[in-house]
Amino acid sequence: MTLHATPVAETAATGPVPTIETVGLTRLYGQNAALDHVSLRFMPGEVHVLFGENGAGKSTLISMISGANAPSSGQILLKGQPVRFDSVRMARANGVRAVFQEFSLVPDLTVAQNITLGEEPALGPRAFGLANVLAKSAARNEARRLIEELGFDLNPDAKVSTLTRGKQQMVEICKAMRVRPDLLILDEPTASLSEHDSQALFALIRRLTAAGTAIIYVTHRMHEIPLIGHRLSVLRDGQFVATVPADTPEDRLIELMTGRNMAKIYPQPRADLGEVKLRLDNVTLTPRQGVEPVRDVSLTVRAGEIVGIAGLVGCGKGNLAQACFGLHRVAEGTIEVSGRAIQPRHPSDAIKAGLWYSPADRKNDGLALDQSAHKNMILSGLSFGPSRGEFLRPRRDARRLAELVRMVEFDANRMGEPVSRFSGGNQQKILLAKALVQDVEVYVFDEPTVGVDIGACLSIYRCLATLSARGAAILLVSSNLPELMGLTHRMLVMSQGRLVAEFDRADYDEHKILEQFF
Amino acid sequence: MSGDVSLSTRPAQATPGFWARIVENRDLLALPAMFIIALLIFSLASDKFLTTGNLTNVARQSVYLLIVALGQLVVMIGGGLDLSVGSNVSLTSVASSMVMAAIFAANPNDPWFALWSGLAVGMAVGLAVGLVNGLGVTLLGINPFMMTLGMSSVVFGITLYIAGGVPIYGAPPLHGEIFGFGKIAGFPIPSLVALALVALAWFTLEWTRFGRHLYAAGGNGRAAELSGVRTVPVRIMAYMICGMMASLAGLLLTARLGSGEANVGASLPLESIAACVISGVSLAGGRGRALAVVMGTLLILLVQNGLNLMQVGAYAQSIATGGILIFAMAIVRR
Repeated sequence: MTLHATPVAETAATGPVPTIETVGLTRLYGQNAALDHVSLRFMPGEVHVLFGENGAGKSTLISMISGANAPSSGQILLKGQPVRFDSVRMARANGVRAVFQEFSLVPDLTVAQNITLGEEPALGPRAFGLANVLAKSAARNEARRLIEELGFDLNPDAKVSTLTRGKQQMVEICKAMRVRPDLLILDEPTASLSEHDSQALFALIRRLTAAGTAIIYVTHRMHEIPLIGHRLSVLRDGQFVATVPADTPEDRLIELMTGRNMAKIYPQPRADLGEVKLRLDNVTLTPRQGVEPVRDVSLTVRAGEIVGIAGLVGCGKGNLAQACFGLHRVAEGTIEVSGRAIQPRHPSDAIKAGLWYSPADRKNDGLALDQSAHKNMILSGLSFGPSRGEFLRPRRDARRLAELVRMVEFDANRMGEPVSRFSGGNQQKILLAKALVQDVEVYVFDEPTVGVDIGACLSIYRCLATLSARGAAILLVSSNLPELMGLTHRMLVMSQGRLVAEFDRADYDEHKILEQFF
Repeated sequence: MSGDVSLSTRPAQATPGFWARIVENRDLLALPAMFIIALLIFSLASDKFLTTGNLTNVARQSVYLLIVALGQLVVMIGGGLDLSVGSNVSLTSVASSMVMAAIFAANPNDPWFALWSGLAVGMAVGLAVGLVNGLGVTLLGINPFMMTLGMSSVVFGITLYIAGGVPIYGAPPLHGEIFGFGKIAGFPIPSLVALALVALAWFTLEWTRFGRHLYAAGGNGRAAELSGVRTVPVRIMAYMICGMMASLAGLLLTARLGSGEANVGASLPLESIAACVISGVSLAGGRGRALAVVMGTLLILLVQNGLNLMQVGAYAQSIATGGILIFAMAIVRR
């Protein structure tokens, strides 16, 4: 291994004591080390970015520092003293707070109640009824003060279940900030925040570091790193790779993260296209609660072609994709697959007709987390693929799956492990393999790379290119504009339920496309 | 290796500790551990416990619970629960006895016809109860716990109503001779039936598409639907299988007792769920194995038998069964 990053001055020998230091921290799951002897120092007043692919060990590391998970071996030093956090509560009492991607909010309580949950303002030794009222208003005032201080746009009396994910993220951060922590862990905090709220968060982070708080910041958004970070540590396969300054160039970071040289991110789309495989004619969806309106959509996708649908969250692009699969009622218009009109009432109708839809929410809609990768991958193939049949033939299926597993670049030795043990990137690969087990010619992918690290993204891109090279027609719905621009032949922009613009690959221009979003 | 502040060093891979591995696999180890503990305690407490005669006895007694527990397993894998198995057994017992008694009385020369009619009615009862449960849970979207609890009361009421609160006698003696005490090549027929059902359940769950669809429906119903699995018929089928298993147990029990009894199934819902849960079947669905349930059933019967031999009485047995259930839940919770 040769690494050429710029050296960073070593502070520990003479400088201040690290807020948290890990020494040889290791976590084993069975024989696999999710984290393998990682020693890092998190200094006061420093934003320390953790960077790595999904499954590199970032989540494991922060879960142990925050007390959610116990190390198999190794030590955590808090301001130089060895500590053992047996619970999240204990870590909190020692000034370590974490904001995870999975929220710990109670949906039916208000923002204020959630913020003060578990550490409600103390009740006086009064009659209960009166004391309750007092405590409630105290909680609300405290929450309001906190929200104002942090500069968020939140209503303390709103029920958490009515908020968007971005707002819920802010509630989580408020919760963590209620007691000033010495170490704040932020796990992809901006993943669901708007630009405005991200800026508010960055301002907050700068104020905190100025006051000496140490911050561990996990992100996949590379453009944020130089804006907010000081130092950055790269993890790969559970092992520590390097610590570099946060302004290290992006391609260098990708190399460190993946251990590979990134020649090209996006494969070249294939040039020759076949006949039309998917045709939507004036499709309008039946209005229903929770379904964004989709009106009068017409599009075609040819064999070998990748057509992208871009648009803001809530523009209806996800619902349009689901409608092709029979998940929403089509009020008007027709959907044709390979020249035959279909009216799917259940996903199985659509698969039979030759169309597969890969959902955006892999945990709720895509995979059975308790079951093995093998069982998840083969599931629909048992009814629709070459593996179909009333009786199972696991050995034959395993041979078939081995091919797909190579195609999605998944580790074939881990086919028997339950999906819950895998990182987001690997789960997404399982979902992708699931799409490949049946004989269909039209694929609709809804956000196939959401929450996935760059290494897994690249595998998924290569796989989509292979599918297209084999003559599949692909409709790609994504919120990631660079990805759409890199992969697709044509791009359609959706806004408020209608297709408003179409771009050919030759005319791709980020600004022109973005203009059509609004 | 120049330039970077710190580079990874990789010491020899440590093997995970013995205890760590035990804790990680505790849901798999809980059952054999409890088995060994039970065997140890009871064989020390009573020298009659570890005899061939006694163990054969335990195996024979476990047949009825085993069959019901297999049905319960199928429903639980699909993410459901069936609290109506006890009432189902009771109704099967009473209804089949009444049909057999009536037909046998009308036509004493053809006991076979009476016997088959009784069996057919019993199975039909089980399937019907299962079908209603399944339709309620899937099409009406009623929580399985409430649906089957309600059905349990309904079915038990029907049982008491048609039986009038008395045991039903008058089935052809053939019934008891074959299905109660009959033997083929020295093996009791109820045990052979149970063994066949274990094999069938194992095969269905592990080697058929229906089995996979059932695990998928219980593991993540939404994901199963999006994979083209029609989960509604799969789950209805699970309740019908469970109902049919309960009625088979009911028919065998009736043959053993020689009469149709309304209160024969009272303890079965709890015991069958306990047998599943201590075998690692998830209450959330998607997990569980037929062979483990055989072990779980045997454990419950062993404990009851051991307590019997220690002469602690029937009340303590009920306490023990509930205690095992709670203990198992505490161990396997995740």
